[in-house]
Amino acid sequence: MNPMEYYVTIIAVYLGTDLIAAWGMNLEFGVAGIANFAYILLVAAGGYTYAVLTLGSSAAHSGFQQYILGVKFPVVIAILLAMAVAAGLGIVLGLTGLRRLRPDYQALTLLIMSIAAGVIVTADNGLFNGNSGLSLIPDPLASLSITASAWAYVALVAALCVVSLVIVRRFTAGPLGRTLRSVRDDEQAASAIGKNVVGLRILVQAVGGALAGLSGALLVGFIGGWAPGSWTYVETFALLSAIIVGGRANNMGVFVGTAVVLIAVLQGVQYLPSVPGQPELVPDLGWMVLGIMTIAFLWIWPRGVVPERRPTYDSLVEVERSSPSSPLHVAPRRPHARPRRPAPTAEVAGSSAVLELTDVVRTFGGVRAVDGCTLSVGRGTITGLIGPNGAGKSTVMGIASGFVRPDQGVVRLNGRDVTGDGAHRRARAGLVRTFQLPREFGGLTMIENLLVAIPNQRGESALGMLLGRSYWGADEKECLDRAMGMLSLFGMLDKANEYARRLSGGQKRMLEIMRALMLQPEVLLLDEPMAGLSPLLSSRVEEACTALRATGMSMLLVEHEMGAVERLCDHVFVMAQGRVLVESSSLSELRTQQAVQDAYLVG
Amino acid sequence: MRLFLESVGFGISAGALISLAAVGFTIQFGISNVLNISYGPTLTLSAYLGYLLVLAHVNVWLTVALIGAAMGILSVLYNRLFITPLSHRGGGFVGVIIGTVGAGIIIQFAITLIAGPSTFSYGRQAGRSVFFLDMVFSVTQIILIGIAVVAMIVYHLLLTRTQLGRGMRATANNAMLAQACGIRTQRIIDFAWLISGFLCGVGGVALAITTVSFDFSLGTTFLIYVIAAAVLGGIGQPYGAMLGGLVVGIGSQVAGTYTSPAYQDVVALGLLVLLLLVKPTGLFSSGTAGARTLAQG
Repeated sequence: MNPMEYYVTIIAVYLGTDLIAAWGMNLEFGVAGIANFAYILLVAAGGYTYAVLTLGSSAAHSGFQQYILGVKFPVVIAILLAMAVAAGLGIVLGLTGLRRLRPDYQALTLLIMSIAAGVIVTADNGLFNGNSGLSLIPDPLASLSITASAWAYVALVAALCVVSLVIVRRFTAGPLGRTLRSVRDDEQAASAIGKNVVGLRILVQAVGGALAGLSGALLVGFIGGWAPGSWTYVETFALLSAIIVGGRANNMGVFVGTAVVLIAVLQGVQYLPSVPGQPELVPDLGWMVLGIMTIAFLWIWPRGVVPERRPTYDSLVEVERSSPSSPLHVAPRRPHARPRRPAPTAEVAGSSAVLELTDVVRTFGGVRAVDGCTLSVGRGTITGLIGPNGAGKSTVMGIASGFVRPDQGVVRLNGRDVTGDGAHRRARAGLVRTFQLPREFGGLTMIENLLVAIPNQRGESALGMLLGRSYWGADEKECLDRAMGMLSLFGMLDKANEYARRLSGGQKRMLEIMRALMLQPEVLLLDEPMAGLSPLLSSRVEEACTALRATGMSMLLVEHEMGAVERLCDHVFVMAQGRVLVESSSLSELRTQQAVQDAYLVG
Repeated sequence: MRLFLESVGFGISAGALISLAAVGFTIQFGISNVLNISYGPTLTLSAYLGYLLVLAHVNVWLTVALIGAAMGILSVLYNRLFITPLSHRGGGFVGVIIGTVGAGIIIQFAITLIAGPSTFSYGRQAGRSVFFLDMVFSVTQIILIGIAVVAMIVYHLLLTRTQLGRGMRATANNAMLAQACGIRTQRIIDFAWLISGFLCGVGGVALAITTVSFDFSLGTTFLIYVIAAAVLGGIGQPYGAMLGGLVVGIGSQVAGTYTSPAYQDVVALGLLVLLLLVKPTGLFSSGTAGARTLAQG
């Protein structure tokens, strides 16, 4: 084997294994927004698993190195198990983020885990053979000549790269990728439109982990060794750096970033002549260039060399303009995957309330924000909820929608107790909220914001993942028609392909309402929908509310604009200091009441 | 019992230093929501700059003060010219972490480039020993513990007794609201970074004084303890960091004594990981930090 071939095969295998890991990490970080600072642990776990599953018994090395298990499995099985172990570990790490933890705490926790694992692994001799790691891992292609074996390995890695790309694309492209990006942009808004954020994250951590395991196993199989020193938390940053330089959430960009940062810079410097007496200088130089490049890109081109693609839907806008349809009246409710609730039977329909809150209490610290509040929303009505600032209206909205867990009390939807259900379950059951401050998915376009809200898209399902576009293509077209219809109804077709973060405040508010309507909710909770809207948009919202009521939708409306409340609401609750003060079907009657006036004046 | 007290004594010495540095680290998170990984290499930088002064026959305690002041000023500039613009440009919390890792790598490399990979020593003799119960302290250690205690008390008085300190607490709690209340948050933030940098400088030199010899990896290794202490105490909470530093210092020394020195870090970090799994917001946090108030939507 000539030296040239030797270097080329090494670089090719490094590129391939780095690429698989970087794609996996991009799926977590770039697409789903999980800052998994312990990612390199998963790569290391895959490598270690592969090593102990191919090394054979520890005793054969007569005390030279110690490790757990020590069996001799076929290479394919070892690789698959390495992927499984890494995926499992990925899920475990993902579980740390399960509790409603601020993303910065999640990042910190994972960083600590990564550092701690490094220290624990290198200190302990019995489990991982300490700092020296494992060696003498057999060449899986030993039957071939050295040259042939190296090239065969390159071919194997290349093939698995292609397979990995195909898998990753199933998650990054299409409706599933869109849903994941919505979780990345705003977790709470994603659960408000019925996305199971926890489930999606676990899925992503499992897939990202499996790819990490594959990468680790392939690398260890090639170099025949496993050393803890090469899997420190700094390596995670090298992968992140590749993703940032190349372009987040873009598989092509990640390829470019990996080739430039991990190969050209970090590997490239190894081929520079070393400085006599300072063997560490040249590798350090590589890291220094990596540091400078990362900062430069964060500073000047944060979107990377190949930025995230913006899907555009130009041709369809034209079609829709010529035949506007109203999704509010025409479109049938989409069937849900599982029975959401019993059909309104006689006894349920007996009570005309579709949403009931009974004696709900919620304290924040020592403040009783909601203090024994009881209210209900009648079927097919618009119910107003007014009161001075700090009365607890928004907390009531949070309790009703499942974002705030009440300390006491019951929430019923169609007579069914939903107090224990999280936000995404309630959204799927037809109880959808909007937020007081618009929470658009900034990295998605206007039309994508609407598309992502449609429940039970074929492209989001497990089957859709397996079968690909042929399974969900038609469904996607139908969804697109609905989303375009919604935009044309609110006169915003021209903004369809604009990034939501670039919309004006009023437009974002409209988007918030449209997105909620894409779920075709049974009960819509509107938290100050008119605030900050121009009179024109405001009247458009009012018209929409009236039209929606005519279709049988029920609404709970928190609003300070009393004119709108008076025109729209069939029934009004007045809250003050966490309780319902009075209720009436006529706002003008309430206005004359002393208690209401006092509440507003005293606040 | 004797063995135990002895290791507690070592732990207090180690813990005082960790506390000092951890408070500086945690202030940055509390006031600017920054996880500054370059804090470790900055500790190293302080130790090397201090070494230059000691070489020039500056008194070692004066060196501590001078480096503290210098690093304080550098720290304000670092935040103004690097951290804040980066968080506006490069995509938020994670982007800034990555940026600080990059900056840390650059600082550490620059040190290696100039000073080389060899080890250095301030060459201080351990001096007279002081016995208390069964604990043994050198005079240097006593002075360092004293510096740490005084720094903590001064910081406590600052937070509770001065307008500036109240402004800092308000800004850490809710910067926007603080600004709306007429607090000049930019000044507060500058001041917080000044203190943080000061503690970092003092910590770095103190660390170099107590270790027999040090090299370019001094601060990076120490950062693990610093982060552990800050997280243990609830990141962003200065009092938590003080206590966390002591717990990590004493815990790791005692664990090292009763198992083997190799397990010193393992025990400390293993406990931290367990804690994070159970209570990710740290031991002494108020509990509200983990879950945002979701009511406001």
